Amino acid sequence: MMKYALFLGCQIPIRLQQYETSSRAVLERLGVELMDIGEFNCCGYPLRNIDFKTFLLASARNLALAETKKLNVMTLCQCCYGSLKKADFLLKENLSLRKEVNAVLQQEDISYEGKIEIKHLLSVLDQEVGIEAIRKKIEKPFQGLKIAAHYGCHALRPSQIVRFDDPGNPSIFERLVNVTGAKSIGWLMRLECCGAPLLGSHDELSTEMTLKKLNNGRESGANYLCTACTYCQIQFDTVQQMILSRQGSNPPLPSLLYPQLLGLSMGIPPEPLGLKMNKIPIREIGS
Amino acid sequence: MNLSFSDKVLHWCKTLIHCRRFSRSWMGKNLSMIQLMELDACTHCAMCSSHCSVAIAFEGIPNINILPSEKVASIKALASGNPLTEQEIRGLQEGVYLCTNCYRCTVVCPVGINLQNLWNRVRELLIQRGIPELSVLSPLSFYRGLMKAEAAQGDYEKPLTQAREAISSQCDLMKKKDEVLHLTPVDEKFKSGLDLSSQAKNFSICFGCQTCTTVCPVVRHYENPQEVLGLLPHQIMHAAGLGLKDLAIGSNMLWDCLTCYQCQEQCPRGVPVTDVLYELKNSAIKYTKEKI
Repeated sequence: MMKYALFLGCQIPIRLQQYETSSRAVLERLGVELMDIGEFNCCGYPLRNIDFKTFLLASARNLALAETKKLNVMTLCQCCYGSLKKADFLLKENLSLRKEVNAVLQQEDISYEGKIEIKHLLSVLDQEVGIEAIRKKIEKPFQGLKIAAHYGCHALRPSQIVRFDDPGNPSIFERLVNVTGAKSIGWLMRLECCGAPLLGSHDELSTEMTLKKLNNGRESGANYLCTACTYCQIQFDTVQQMILSRQGSNPPLPSLLYPQLLGLSMGIPPEPLGLKMNKIPIREIGS
Repeated sequence: MNLSFSDKVLHWCKTLIHCRRFSRSWMGKNLSMIQLMELDACTHCAMCSSHCSVAIAFEGIPNINILPSEKVASIKALASGNPLTEQEIRGLQEGVYLCTNCYRCTVVCPVGINLQNLWNRVRELLIQRGIPELSVLSPLSFYRGLMKAEAAQGDYEKPLTQAREAISSQCDLMKKKDEVLHLTPVDEKFKSGLDLSSQAKNFSICFGCQTCTTVCPVVRHYENPQEVLGLLPHQIMHAAGLGLKDLAIGSNMLWDCLTCYQCQEQCPRGVPVTDVLYELKNSAIKYTKEKI
């Protein structure tokens, strides 16, 4: 039995609930058990610009909580993934740093000894569940649907730490898209940044990065963009809609979350997949 | 509590009178009546703080206003007309910005106070006042970006420009483009300070091949990147190696870095370029906070 502590982070429960509900629906059918740890806090990602030690403490507290329950962690967000992996790497490698962090965590009677693993949703599906097991659960394979798989920076890089896939030529996302019957297209900018890290601090640069990617995806013939990260999805959905309402020049390239795509091909009804919750409509995909 | 209609009216009037004392202060004038009533309803039970997503940050940044229950107390003091010192206002401003906007405080509040709305309002009021808040230059601003249409009660860009200017004002050398640089004595304190975090080791082994700069999507985005970004990644690595603080922390490049890790991934020398940039951002914020 595959069992993970589900790490949702700060954004999903309030801004992207469909990522949680669709992931739960898909993983339940695939026999992955998810445990909730209510005490989890911020992964530390937004604090890294401000203070490294504070980032590390925030991240490490989550790792310690999961270790106490003897559970490996599965994240849905790739920025959470990158942050937890970074903290995990440093705490496993650097004893004095671990001691320093644990001295703070000990106030809550927890500590981190580096005994757990952190996985991202896509790695769990590809490596733990396996493509063949997924294929057996596909009831309504897509036909003729073209998907641009967007990798997301913090899952891929720095590869030495995240160990997600080959950073220069990854294939995990394409495999997972293709098993649904959809066709993952080749596109030049598939490994580039979505622009989200600068939203709110440099909007112009952030949205130009987003538009470049969307244009490249559209020109490469994609019907939809597919993401597996909280920030990337919000950027390609909510923020794309904000841009369009200001300067509706190009037709939108709608973005959907990977578990939504997989869920549809598994015959899961639209409700738990939260299709209606996407800002740019993706309803037609199910028909 | 089962109140009759007349009791409810009486109760409502009492609360209104009570809240009027808030309406004379600057903070009180800028909050809605419901928010003032909510401030009054807070029993300081600290349920919000025990569920706060960033409460742990208090252990790294000793600012009591990071904790939501203490933020309410400070806001209440401001609204009551108690003058807070500039230092206290800075503390509240930072505390209210160090928030991931996850709404957990609002969900768990037993009195039903919409704390998240209160933070949003107070955050905007404070950062528009003119004291630079350096945390705006982090992904904590993501939510403010999403809420841009609603948050535009003041000048949206002002707090962002102010934060960048506050940092660059501490980096004189950046402004003197023709200055001959004195490479000795090396600012060893600054240089070794970068090593402490253990995430940013090895910047001094950079041999200047410029791969980091070549693969950077932000550099590629601009026709004349140096004009917009200041020093480019390989130059920043070089400046850090030489211990030239002003040059290492004074460039827009730091704040325009997407943290996409392309530079670090492709560095042939194994310099953790992105992590060094993270580290320099930490130094810039810490240094500027002490000075302004």
